[in-house]
Amino acid sequence: MKVETRLFLWMAPFFGLCAAVYGFWSGWEPVGSAALIMVALLMAMIGAYFTLLIKRIDSRPEDDPLAEIEQGAGDQGVYSPWSWWPLVIALAAAIAFLGLAMGWWMLLIAIPVAVVGLCGWVFEFSTGQHAH
Amino acid sequence: MANVSTSTAAPSASLHVSVNRPNPVSVGTIVWLASELMFFAGLFAMYFTLRSTVPDEWARETPLLNLPFAVVNTTILVLSSVTCQMGVWAAERFQPRRSGSLVQVNRWGMNEWMTLTYLMGAVFIGGQIYEYAGLVSEGLTIASSPYGSVFYLTTGFHGLHVVGGLLAFLFLLGRSFTAKRFGHHEATTAIVVSYYWHFVDVVWIALFSVIYLIQ
Repeated sequence: MKVETRLFLWMAPFFGLCAAVYGFWSGWEPVGSAALIMVALLMAMIGAYFTLLIKRIDSRPEDDPLAEIEQGAGDQGVYSPWSWWPLVIALAAAIAFLGLAMGWWMLLIAIPVAVVGLCGWVFEFSTGQHAH
Repeated sequence: MANVSTSTAAPSASLHVSVNRPNPVSVGTIVWLASELMFFAGLFAMYFTLRSTVPDEWARETPLLNLPFAVVNTTILVLSSVTCQMGVWAAERFQPRRSGSLVQVNRWGMNEWMTLTYLMGAVFIGGQIYEYAGLVSEGLTIASSPYGSVFYLTTGFHGLHVVGGLLAFLFLLGRSFTAKRFGHHEATTAIVVSYYWHFVDVVWIALFSVIYLIQ
């Protein structure tokens, strides 16, 4: 994780410097100054998170230039193999956006579909055959 | 022959040491929150642009703001981040339920802490609606002036994020109550919901400083 951490931590002062130079030259024009300052914060936020994270995890095979491919085998994290629920949520979003074009009343159809889709998605690995 | 085949096919145990990797859900949440930061950057840019273009509007409209009320509301939101973190520590102990009575706060589990956080967030939203109602009655609406537009857009989008966080707390409590064994699945949910809540809290502190303190 060292490379990722350094990438984000070093980009933060770089964009801070960009913000200072841009702000100075443009007389602190609000849009660009605000955006550049926030980009610096964005980098600092991810970098700070990785700095904390790196203390809690093992050194990964990816960080070792002499590592073998097979050392990366094993648990990679928890991933959903497949799910129909995002399709239901996408349907709700489609109806909602159609409502923006046709009439607000369509939100009354979109909201129940969204509730069903979100509940199905969130509880997919808590209920049924995955109940634990 | 059976001996031969098993001894060659069996993988050596030392090669398969499981690596403790970063949790993809947590890392993904942080990266998504960084993009949320840029969403709020757009709102800040909009606010400061109008403020520098029509400063008279600010001089006329900002006295309408009720600073003491906003300070109390902000304090409630900041304290809700503290209770949320207590809930995360309970989740990291895999303790969903309290082990003592309801008044023994030090024995609380995740459900109690997150319910309290939910209530505090709901009070914040209630306070914000009360504040909006007062401002609208004094003639400041989203369409009344440029100041009204940026005030309601910035605080309103933040308020929608808080409402989204409240829904996330409901789903988190739902998962916690559904699970007979509270494990990593539930703890991860608690941790990423807390990341979001802390983020929304920090954004509010920035918005509060810009809108109420600098004026």
